[in-house]
Amino acid sequence: MDCTLFRRSAGLLAGAGALALAAGAADAASLVKDCGKDGKYVIGFSQANNAEPYRQHVNDELTAAAAKVPQFSLQIADGAGNVNTQTSQMDNFITQKVDLILISPFEAAPLTPVVARAVKAGIPVIELDRRSLGEPGKDYTAFIGGDNFKIAQEAGKYVAGTLLPDGGEVAVLEGLPSSTPAVERLNGFKDGVKANAKIEVVAEQAADWLPDKAQTAFAAMLQAHPNIKAVYASNDMMAAGARLAAKGAGKKDGDIKILGTDGLPGPAGGIRAVAEGEWSATFTYPTGGPEAIDMAKAILIDCAEKVPTVVTVATTAITPDNAKAMMGK
Amino acid sequence: MNDAAPMRAAPAAPPATARRFDAFAIAVRFQSVIGLILVTLGGIVFSPRRHGHILFLAPDNMANIVRAVSETGIIAVGMTFVIITAGIDLSVGALLSLCSVLTATIMTSGGYGLAPTILFVLACGTAFGGAQGLISNRFRLEPFIVTLAGLQVARGLALVISGNQYINISYGQGPGLAPPVFAILGDRLFDNTVPVATLVFVVVAAIATFTLNFTRFGRYVFAVGGNERAARLSGVPVSLVKVSVYAITGLVSGIAGVVHAGQFNFGSANDGTGYELTAIASVVIGGTSLFGGSGSMIGTVAGAVMLGALANILQLNNVNAALQLLATGAIIVLAAVLQSLVRRREGLGR
Repeated sequence: MDCTLFRRSAGLLAGAGALALAAGAADAASLVKDCGKDGKYVIGFSQANNAEPYRQHVNDELTAAAAKVPQFSLQIADGAGNVNTQTSQMDNFITQKVDLILISPFEAAPLTPVVARAVKAGIPVIELDRRSLGEPGKDYTAFIGGDNFKIAQEAGKYVAGTLLPDGGEVAVLEGLPSSTPAVERLNGFKDGVKANAKIEVVAEQAADWLPDKAQTAFAAMLQAHPNIKAVYASNDMMAAGARLAAKGAGKKDGDIKILGTDGLPGPAGGIRAVAEGEWSATFTYPTGGPEAIDMAKAILIDCAEKVPTVVTVATTAITPDNAKAMMGK
Repeated sequence: MNDAAPMRAAPAAPPATARRFDAFAIAVRFQSVIGLILVTLGGIVFSPRRHGHILFLAPDNMANIVRAVSETGIIAVGMTFVIITAGIDLSVGALLSLCSVLTATIMTSGGYGLAPTILFVLACGTAFGGAQGLISNRFRLEPFIVTLAGLQVARGLALVISGNQYINISYGQGPGLAPPVFAILGDRLFDNTVPVATLVFVVVAAIATFTLNFTRFGRYVFAVGGNERAARLSGVPVSLVKVSVYAITGLVSGIAGVVHAGQFNFGSANDGTGYELTAIASVVIGGTSLFGGSGSMIGTVAGAVMLGALANILQLNNVNAALQLLATGAIIVLAAVLQSLVRRREGLGR
């Protein structure tokens, strides 16, 4: 398969297009009554847990996107991985009568009632990355996020078509076994490599998203299967651990194709590792931050009466072709 | 070996059963060594083979095992002192994380040199551990509570200092770059065979074994754990010993944190989670009693390596993670049951 197809940030363009369409339609009632007013709009973002580096990255992207809209001021509340804390912060937003709420629920069921309270109070709620139990478009305004299965599937297709067209043995490092993204990424990758019948997944081990566990697990995999040609790590940190195991087994960068997921920026992130030739590729897990701000703009400023209820933001494949360019972004 | 329970007066056992009792007690004293032998035999039997070679016994697989356990092993060695005094330290994993963040931050932010940076980080770890011992001792608080709080504080500090980011260590000469020699912690010496992290573990374990078995301080540690009041009446500086053992776990957490930063080339506030449990498991499997007063450093080292060997043989066979947890849990229970049986035979109750 041709990787240029998904190398473009297709989702971003498609999402923006859909929003423009929605905003274009006229007559019917807009989603919020006092939209298009002059002055400031306050957007509250209820984050699940700031302590995870990925969520810090979401905050950064969202802050940057909001800063581009002069009417918006963004408030971020950290739920600190505690549903009780996150619920009370949501209630605070409702009391403050913020103009729009963004939320990444730490857990689905416990946050569902407070999302309903916000909607009942007339505040549009956009769920980011994680969903509550309700139905988008009905119980809350919309869901914006990536699709773990599809992202890992793209990684699998990239291995099948571009990295190992002649096939070979492949290993998978899974995240924390009980977490949904871990399962979706494992299944997505295995589905993706099916495109090439000569590829065999010979080992899969959980390394709980952690680099040290990934190093230990991949070292054992290389012992049992010395012909492993590629390893898919379900996040960037496990890819870093896999590289250390390969190095410990006397392999040079490139001997084993290493693929990460998340594509975080910064010196410890995956984009740099691909740019410097340590890994073969990493696949971004899009934050949805810019898309969320675009949607907030459509609702609050452009008086949209309808927005897409589910926006799936596509992954960007970071490969040696675009990694250096992406580092500047 | 004479490093288990030398301070405890042997109860007058009936002569008829003395012989059998000794055999059993010795078996339990070296349970982790015996366990390690059993796991190794199991590894040989169940190991995947290639061209007739047993993969489990391949030199680089052995190196992988001892590298993988080096960080938790270093911590377990320090933890042995604390547990012999009947204490516990839950803060070690978080403290490792804090020390890895400190190492990475200092290395990449200014030209302080390698040795001063490492010494400063070790001093921070020691001070953190010592402070916990001091608070626990001064206010007569359970070490469980104090070190549980310490865990939160260390994790919080690590998050604040790192700004929730992985602090990457880049090597080279100049501002913001770490001295390339520091990366040796992730390398293997002697023709790419012996992991440097393992050498650190061996050195720490050797010093600790000597300290516990052949110094006055080591005898004090056993005395405080065996019978605190008797130790106090015999002139043992009980408070000083109890603070010191927590300073030791702080120091070993600092060492493990530096090794972690060197192995992975970054410091992270999210790493080291659950290390305290692996370290405590290594100590208990090693035959050290959670009731204090008896324990063995060799046992701890064997216990740590055994857990690593067990995980390795399961991973070589691509067994899933759930079964690895079940196997580890079963072994911890078995070790605890054996200790309890010995205590009952010695007439110490429970």
